[in-house]
Amino acid sequence: MELTKNITLGVYLPGETVIHRLDPRTKIIIASVLIILLLMIKSYPAYAVILTFLSAVIFMSGIPLSYALCGLKPMLPVLILMWVFQLFLYSNPDSKVIFSFWIFTATDSGMHMGNLISLRVIFLFTVTTILTLTTSMVSLTDGLESLLNPLRKFGLPIQELVMTMVIALRFVLILAEELDKIVKAQMARGVAFDRGNFIQKTKKLFPVFLPLFINAFKRAEELIVAMEARSYTGGKGRTKMKTLQMSRVDLGAGFVMLIFSAIVVLLIITIKPQI
Amino acid sequence: MPIEIKNLCHSYKKGTPFEKKVLHNVDLIINDGEFVGLIGSTQSGKTTLAQHFNALIIPQNGKVIINGCNTADKNAELIKLRQNVGYVFQNPDYQLFASTVGEDIAFGPKNQKLSPGEVNSRVLEAMEQVGLDYNTFYERDIFALSGGQKRRVAIAGVLACHPQILILDDVTAGLDPKGREEILTVIRKLHFEYMITIIFISNSMDEVARLVERIVVLDQGNIIIDGATRDIFNQAARLGDIGLELPEVMDITTKLRNKGFNLPQAVINIDEAIESISADLLERQVGD
Repeated sequence: MELTKNITLGVYLPGETVIHRLDPRTKIIIASVLIILLLMIKSYPAYAVILTFLSAVIFMSGIPLSYALCGLKPMLPVLILMWVFQLFLYSNPDSKVIFSFWIFTATDSGMHMGNLISLRVIFLFTVTTILTLTTSMVSLTDGLESLLNPLRKFGLPIQELVMTMVIALRFVLILAEELDKIVKAQMARGVAFDRGNFIQKTKKLFPVFLPLFINAFKRAEELIVAMEARSYTGGKGRTKMKTLQMSRVDLGAGFVMLIFSAIVVLLIITIKPQI
Repeated sequence: MPIEIKNLCHSYKKGTPFEKKVLHNVDLIINDGEFVGLIGSTQSGKTTLAQHFNALIIPQNGKVIINGCNTADKNAELIKLRQNVGYVFQNPDYQLFASTVGEDIAFGPKNQKLSPGEVNSRVLEAMEQVGLDYNTFYERDIFALSGGQKRRVAIAGVLACHPQILILDDVTAGLDPKGREEILTVIRKLHFEYMITIIFISNSMDEVARLVERIVVLDQGNIIIDGATRDIFNQAARLGDIGLELPEVMDITTKLRNKGFNLPQAVINIDEAIESISADLLERQVGD
């Protein structure tokens, strides 16, 4: 059992591909545009365009497809549950009944709704995963900071906010690794996590989550001291070792993105929604 | 309860780009009543190998047979097996969760569904085994303990399950010299008085040399040396080659030997060193 194996969010897979070398700002903007588009899409053809785009990006980034998608594995039960809910609960006036039993009725519009929502979750997840897999923590921080910098005029502590977010992302993996060890330590003392009824199973989580929380607080405290020891005072007066520089590749990427977005927007406007 | 390992391979994060082979075709047999030291530098695969011993890791390739039971077998009673093979983790913070010492030690026996009376006698016994006074410590808050005391509570928590084999994963790491001595004394007592088979994982040659009877050296996922402690220190040069430090005592005696002292090859603890050096000095005086 390895809990950390399927966690891809917040993991960086070093590489030298075009996707890796893109300016983090370009990648963050492209990801944001994709996310906005995904939230507007209500038909299959538009998803097909996004699928083409993402497949190309994954291929170019050299990330094994199986690895890019393995983070979805733990989410599968939730996705299936969501799909079933939509199938039976959603319907609009002109939907056809597929089948029905007892008080449940499955409609074709419910099925489409289920499909579209599942696709949306899968694509949203894949977009963010590709972003973190191809962008190191440092450049992700720099990129976000530089993009959000204008908001500083309104008194928002951008550097601090970005730092907090990035640390949180980083802790996902650290805590998962720690959870793995704690689970093993308690299993070694005879806890059978998969036995008993719901209440008994819930009770068995205490010996796991208590040490996890205590260690997380301890870790956070150590991190604070370590940061202060290196004179961290937030964003004020901070300079960069590497300044971000857009290149021709970024221009190209932006151009490609523009074309794809235009197609998707066109499809959103012209095609009648499936639901 | 013999442990038998055949052709064991293990890869970390198998099937991802981060896949890393940690164990390469490991073969090992550990018999009842042995006192084994498992050493190797960090990342050598010690912990991964040891976690196979009580089925915390199920083999990806190869076989792990504990007391005739194959851990990869679907019908294997792993819960029962883990009661017989205790595992103490390096960091007690991963294990301790209850508010008091007594409560935490009672966790294992309670999982075995023993009666309250039995649980209590197990706790009492385990605390005695690790040298924690029942009256002083039973009600003590876990957070009020020192590093060494925490380790002892963690060991007691595993001992209370009555294991026949005890795996100690680098339990002296990060302790001050006093805390370390206390733990080593406890471990010695567990083996020689309570007859528990012990597998002691460490990266300190000093400790291993003083403690165990048999040494297994892991290097990059391969067992490269396996034998009686004294035999192994007779091949001092090989240990240096893989980056393991020799015990300090051996270091000093080697230097003395180079200066013309007549000392045996493998002097592995201070008592032996004193004995052989004084014997040599005496001989010289007689010679004069």
